[in-house]
Amino acid sequence: MKINFPHRQFAHCESGVTANLLNYHGFPCSEAMAFGIGGGLFFAYVPFIKLNFLPLTTFRTGPGSIFAKATKRLGIEIKREKFSNPDVAEQRLDRLIAEGHPVGAQTGVFWLPFFPPAYRFHFNGHNLVVIGKEGNEYLISDPIFEEPVRCPVEDLRKARFAKGALAPKGKLYYIANMPQRFDLPQAVSAGIKEVCRGMLKTPVPLAGVRGIRLLARQLVKWPGKFDEKQTLLYLGHVIRMQEEIGTGGGGFRFIYAAFLQEAADVLENDKLLDLSKHCTEIGDLWRDFALLASRVCKGRAEIQDSFHDLSQLLLQCAAEEKILFGDLQRVISD
Amino acid sequence: MSSALEHELAELIIDFCNVEDVSAEEISPETPLIGPDSPFGLDSLDAVEVVVAVQKTYGVRIGGEQTSREVLQSLRTLAEFITREQNGG
Repeated sequence: MKINFPHRQFAHCESGVTANLLNYHGFPCSEAMAFGIGGGLFFAYVPFIKLNFLPLTTFRTGPGSIFAKATKRLGIEIKREKFSNPDVAEQRLDRLIAEGHPVGAQTGVFWLPFFPPAYRFHFNGHNLVVIGKEGNEYLISDPIFEEPVRCPVEDLRKARFAKGALAPKGKLYYIANMPQRFDLPQAVSAGIKEVCRGMLKTPVPLAGVRGIRLLARQLVKWPGKFDEKQTLLYLGHVIRMQEEIGTGGGGFRFIYAAFLQEAADVLENDKLLDLSKHCTEIGDLWRDFALLASRVCKGRAEIQDSFHDLSQLLLQCAAEEKILFGDLQRVISD
Repeated sequence: MSSALEHELAELIIDFCNVEDVSAEEISPETPLIGPDSPFGLDSLDAVEVVVAVQKTYGVRIGGEQTSREVLQSLRTLAEFITREQNGG
């Protein structure tokens, strides 16, 4: 059994899965558009929540929210299921594929044998689409890869029931029903408004622009508070969350800039083109931060002097993002 | 056989990432740039430096839907990306 599913490669798994599923169901959609409608851009630094012993730092909204919100804003009916029993979870997946549904699944990267060993780390928020089954293998559209891949049944079972933070618990999701018509401008506006709210109007100082400032204030204290190994682990973690795990670089700011460019067309508003450029410039600023941080981690820059500069760069990112999202909010409300 | 651009990129990476005991002439354009099989010995943190070095030197941004993982597969894929971007994508 194999579903004729058009596979496309993208930078970010959940946005890519969303775009590919929408495309399959007759709604042509780029990765950037899926990310933007889904209100994917965010920032949060939560030092008291640790993932793999490192403070939670994220440049996007929570796992699953991009697919859920993008489909909701487009009026698409979806189904999501979680399981406690791996046998039941596998039977359900097989039944859905047999019925012709391409099925999204949350998995743990470590257990997916088609990932090169260097990329198989303990991250349980990886999304892919199961598009068929042949013998003892599932056929998979994983947007991180150039071509569809195969995965032994046993390995996918382990990946769907990986333990630890963000444990997937066999989570499956699929599109059950598409509407007759879509209100794309409305969906785009709603996605933008959510991101502006998240970045500017969060009630807690851990998220949005205030979260970036909090990280700037705390980061400068790390060399005095922790030993060198711990300090560099914390710093390396921030860069990895920003530049890896499918962000497209600059903590998703480049992907969001691409979305704003598309949004200018959808909403017939050229002001969004200028804001797209500003968003790209902010992505470059985040990259300047990552560059200095990686030089510190690699011992190519002095720790003591650099942490002050790193903190200043973060404050600059926060200041620019405050301007960008303020402007964006005004443009969308006009 | 490496092109002039591939050779230039090997020198840029050696310089930016302080790679020791390797010369640009020794690097095959097809070998992996990042990861355990990289003759440069580069990891994901080095990748950030390569991305920024390429942007500052050649004026092309690796980002967005053009993932650095794809572009930084080898000297060849990186050179092809730069050439393509400089010729207008």
